[in-house]
Amino acid sequence: MKITCVIPAFNEEKHITQVIAQVRPFVQEIIVVDDCSQDKTAALAKQSGVIVIQHAINRGQGASLQTGTEHALDRQADIIVHFDADNQFQAKEITDIIEPIIQGQAEAVLGSRFLGKKSNLPWQKKYLIMPLARLVNRIFFNINLSDPQSGFRALNRATAQKIKITNDGMAHCSEILYQLFKNKIKVKEVPITVVYHQYGQKFSGGLQIIKDLIIQKIIK
Amino acid sequence: MLQQILALIIIIFFLIRLFGQKRKKEINAKEFLVWLIFWLLAAIAIIFIKQIDQLIAWLGFSGAAINILTYIVVLILVYIVFRMRLTMAKMDKNITELTRIVARRKN
Repeated sequence: MKITCVIPAFNEEKHITQVIAQVRPFVQEIIVVDDCSQDKTAALAKQSGVIVIQHAINRGQGASLQTGTEHALDRQADIIVHFDADNQFQAKEITDIIEPIIQGQAEAVLGSRFLGKKSNLPWQKKYLIMPLARLVNRIFFNINLSDPQSGFRALNRATAQKIKITNDGMAHCSEILYQLFKNKIKVKEVPITVVYHQYGQKFSGGLQIIKDLIIQKIIK
Repeated sequence: MLQQILALIIIIFFLIRLFGQKRKKEINAKEFLVWLIFWLLAAIAIIFIKQIDQLIAWLGFSGAAINILTYIVVLILVYIVFRMRLTMAKMDKNITELTRIVARRKN
């Protein structure tokens, strides 16, 4: 079974080499999608010997994930893992994420920061942004999951073929959940640990996601 | 009266510009027609502002016709901005697709 990890990266020269080294033992192939970084991200990823796809223009994390996923499918991946380049996820938890797919218990597995394992989530995110994101998911997509914005997920081949990320920015998390539910994909959440080195998505980013989702709904 | 003349001069300026854009083929026939109708309607509204005032009063609304015109223009502008935003979103999507094709072709 070929497991491919897709890592979207934008200006991640500080972390990319370490992330690749940590992920490598758990997967057969790594695809780094460099989203037009201004630093040495692409060069460092290439030095690590992984597949590097470079966007000529910065298109956002959602766009990078779709590029990487399409490439992984073309390279006959059986399971595709989405993993962040900022060193916040724990590579050893890839085993937990792919296990339900290998066992046939799920077609898509989503990492959740709210299922027991301790993450040093900033309180604003825990008590303000995440509840709001859950509410948005419920209103827009009728989805009720513990973690509305986790970027750590695994999809089996058939599921990855059905999912088409059209939201280039951060709204892709909600869009993926929506498509999973729309396509009646068997979804499972597993606990993950996230170590925050920086704040990440701010409240304004959350509002941007809502705006993107509304526009996406209209232009469809 | 002076205000009406000023408004008409502005409209004439935009109409001349519109015909210039059409001549240089900077806009297509459909866009030209939409803007031509828009500016002509605006000119008609300015010329017959008193009659519009009377019509508004006859219909039982209070307030000057210019206020109603302002509201209509604001609504039209909001609609135009909204349409532009949607067009930009579609263009954005196409740019992403193109970027993806180019990036993957290199691998």
